[in-house]
Amino acid sequence: MKTNVRHLMMASLAIFAIAGCGKPPQPNVAKETAGQPTTSAPASDEEKKLNVFCWSEYIPQDVLDQFTKETGIKVSVENYASNEEMLAKLLAGGGTYDVIQPSEYVIEGLIKENLLIPIDQAAIPNLKNIAPEFLNMSFDPGNKYTVPYMAGTVGIVVNTDLVKDDIKSFNDVFQDKYKKNIVVLDDAREIVTWALLTQKLPINDITDENLEKVKPILSQWIPLIKVFDSDSPKTALLNGDVAIGVVWGGEGALLLNADKKFKWVIPAEGTHLFVDSLAIPKTAKHPKNAEAFMNFILRPEISQKISDAFPYLNPNIAARELLTAEQRANPASFPSPDEVAKMQTFKDIGGQATKVDELVTSLKAQ
Amino acid sequence: MAGMAVSAAATTAAATYRRRPGLMAWLVLFPLIAWLVIFVIVPTIMLVVLSFGQQTGMGSITFTFTLEHYARAFSWTWLNVLWTSVKYALITTVICLVVGYPVAFFIGRAPASMRNILLTLVMIPFWTSFLIRTYSWITILSKEGLINGFLVSAQIIPEPITLLYTPFASVLGLVYNYLPFMILPIYTSVERLDNAMIEAAYDLGAGPVRAFSQVILPLTAPGLTAGALLVFVPSIAMFAITNLMGGGIPPTIGDVIYKQFTSGRAQPFGAALGTLLLLIFVVCLWVTRRQRED
Amino acid sequence: MTAIALALLPFLPVPVRSFFRKVQGPRIQQWLLGGWALLVFAFLYIPILLLIIFSFNDSRLNIRWEGFTLKWYAALLENVTLLHAFKNSLIVASITTVLATVLGTVGAWMLYRYRFPFQRAIGLLIFIPMVIPEVLMGVSLLAEFVHLLKIPLGYTTLIIAHTTFCFPFVLVGIQARLHGLDPFLEEAALDLGATPVQAFWLVIVPYLMPAIIAGALMSFTLSLDEYIVSVFTTGAQSQTLPLKVYGMAKVGLNPQLNALSTIFIIGTVFLVLFSEFLTRRKNS
Repeated sequence: MKTNVRHLMMASLAIFAIAGCGKPPQPNVAKETAGQPTTSAPASDEEKKLNVFCWSEYIPQDVLDQFTKETGIKVSVENYASNEEMLAKLLAGGGTYDVIQPSEYVIEGLIKENLLIPIDQAAIPNLKNIAPEFLNMSFDPGNKYTVPYMAGTVGIVVNTDLVKDDIKSFNDVFQDKYKKNIVVLDDAREIVTWALLTQKLPINDITDENLEKVKPILSQWIPLIKVFDSDSPKTALLNGDVAIGVVWGGEGALLLNADKKFKWVIPAEGTHLFVDSLAIPKTAKHPKNAEAFMNFILRPEISQKISDAFPYLNPNIAARELLTAEQRANPASFPSPDEVAKMQTFKDIGGQATKVDELVTSLKAQ
Repeated sequence: MAGMAVSAAATTAAATYRRRPGLMAWLVLFPLIAWLVIFVIVPTIMLVVLSFGQQTGMGSITFTFTLEHYARAFSWTWLNVLWTSVKYALITTVICLVVGYPVAFFIGRAPASMRNILLTLVMIPFWTSFLIRTYSWITILSKEGLINGFLVSAQIIPEPITLLYTPFASVLGLVYNYLPFMILPIYTSVERLDNAMIEAAYDLGAGPVRAFSQVILPLTAPGLTAGALLVFVPSIAMFAITNLMGGGIPPTIGDVIYKQFTSGRAQPFGAALGTLLLLIFVVCLWVTRRQRED
Repeated sequence: MTAIALALLPFLPVPVRSFFRKVQGPRIQQWLLGGWALLVFAFLYIPILLLIIFSFNDSRLNIRWEGFTLKWYAALLENVTLLHAFKNSLIVASITTVLATVLGTVGAWMLYRYRFPFQRAIGLLIFIPMVIPEVLMGVSLLAEFVHLLKIPLGYTTLIIAHTTFCFPFVLVGIQARLHGLDPFLEEAALDLGATPVQAFWLVIVPYLMPAIIAGALMSFTLSLDEYIVSVFTTGAQSQTLPLKVYGMAKVGLNPQLNALSTIFIIGTVFLVLFSEFLTRRKNS
């Protein structure tokens, strides 16, 4: 037994030795490299640090590294997997974050509850690169607090090898013949929104009355669904376990890039637009660095790098010009401007979110 | 018979043997109890307090005193979800027991030098990231995956069968992830089995079945109970596996509670559900402990 | 044939049975059990084999085999973020294992050996971290760290959180082993002049060693993969691997992760076999 304990300790030492190799990520804390174009002018008296709180995998590492190289500001990143996870941690006061990446319906609430610092647009001249339809949106008029990062829609993906019918709308998807052949997002509000769209009800009008109206539709739809997945609905489609999906635009774009058999369809009843933005929370310690970061992200070549990594809807026109024709032709990434014009964004629905969640869960549980 | 007699004697001896702690013992006991209080009891109290509050807006909690969340919890939807999770946990535990016991027995009776290696080998697969293990299973079970690919090309079945995103897949995933937590505790009981006692049972004329049920099983019962607890208890609130391999159907209590802190915007309700779960569990455990001591 | 013979065994008269028992019983038993164990190990390792194979797959979305490549390994060695996160995971898991094993072992012994106020309640309360859904534990610990204890989030809070939910597993395992403890073992040691501490360390701990090792293995495994509690109790510098990985599913799990897991697994299996080799060398 004693020998075994000794060997265990040897093993642990070995682990530590291996783990000890390799430096922690010190993104090159450079002395100012000469001859840098001063599109990012770091602020005077702030520490050269930036705490970013963002969606996992949403900001490529080489973008962050380049920012550090140019400005000397060390970036530390914390990730979350949903807006609400971010809110829970932000509101608990746990971390001090300089930049957060909220979605549109969260921003409204954050502004209302005074949790964001207004941005100094003079420090973010690259804002001019953003397409006009993504500026001055309803959740942040005048872009007083936020800068758009990436946008997207929700739409239908069809595996044309397995499904020969022409699917054009939500109603086409949720038919008995596709029973247990469908994947949808695991998001109660999304599902309810689609039902509202088929009834031509306003998507932000989530009243008890409207919920009652869509309940029968949902009771018909939900038993037809095989998989609920918001993280990677493309997996079920790629593996052939389902033939149709109602998924994020980014997932759709990835599927289209993976295999030509997938077709992307914007539902005839309409869909909504989501916009993820960068914002500065009130507790930020380095707001000027944050603004410099935002300006940096809006540079066309940086934004292009982000698009290369994640084929979402890039609101940056200057960046779009740097993309390949193939990227721009991907309908899941870039719906036509008229379609975008028709789309609404989510508004915060407050306490009704609870009722929405309960409705969908109770139907799932049956 | 013999096994039960010995373990019974040991327990009664131990029960009467407990002594009051001296100074040294209190010095050791104090930090342990302090840890329990600070990091277990206090957060639990905070949760219970939360369950009586109300959430407004983005996530600010006002501490009124309301029972509305508990009232809401007692409805068919949530109780059904809770029951489903318990059911899955029970099935998982039983399967882990049947599958894992022989393995634990084998390891426990293997040559001494091999035991720790075998134990470690049992654990090593779980030092990979949970997500890639699960995605590996998805690749194996999917309609165009390994199993179906093999069965179809060997012409055993004409068409691929649906293995993934079913209750079967959920249970498979749960059993896979919790099997080591059944094997290891049972092993610790098997390891101290005295060969002489088993030989004696055989010599006294017991068949292998009797030897097992009257001698081996009672002696390994503590390990078995520990294994069952270490599988059953955590698997009730586990939801990642059902979400990934079962398609998120049916919803589990862990997922429901998680959603209250995210899209459901009802943190106090989540806390109430959690408190109920704790309560049910503590009561069950207390009752079974009481029964055993009688 | 052997199977049928074994199945008929209970029905044969005693002298025949004892013949089987003495000559072949235990051996056949171990062979059968060994076969079953092999099957179970196969079950445990098949997904692992698959993920190792896919670490060499020339495809970003690992669905089909598309050619052999080492590029993921190359990319991994430059992926400082992932490696740093992995190192954090190892450090946190190791420290957690030590703390949880000590807490669990000493705690179990105290509960078994001594009588003190609220003992029964404590015996039940230790189960809380096991029952409680992780999001509740994470949120409540976060609130406590931030509002009550005022500890900044980072390695410390992360390790405290991990230890708290790992030690019950160790404790329950040790308790099971204690059930079969000869109560007079410690008594004998004390009679021979040992202090209670010496008796514990020199007599009880060796007896508990299999359970201690089992508990340590479980703790390490639990901590390495913990996601939800980590989300709420970590700081920016102490990001662990699951935190970096869980969002990866959105763009497809990076095969660099397969490479990382492969290296770690092969490394650990190697270490284990190497230590066995050393033991054999020592004993021969």
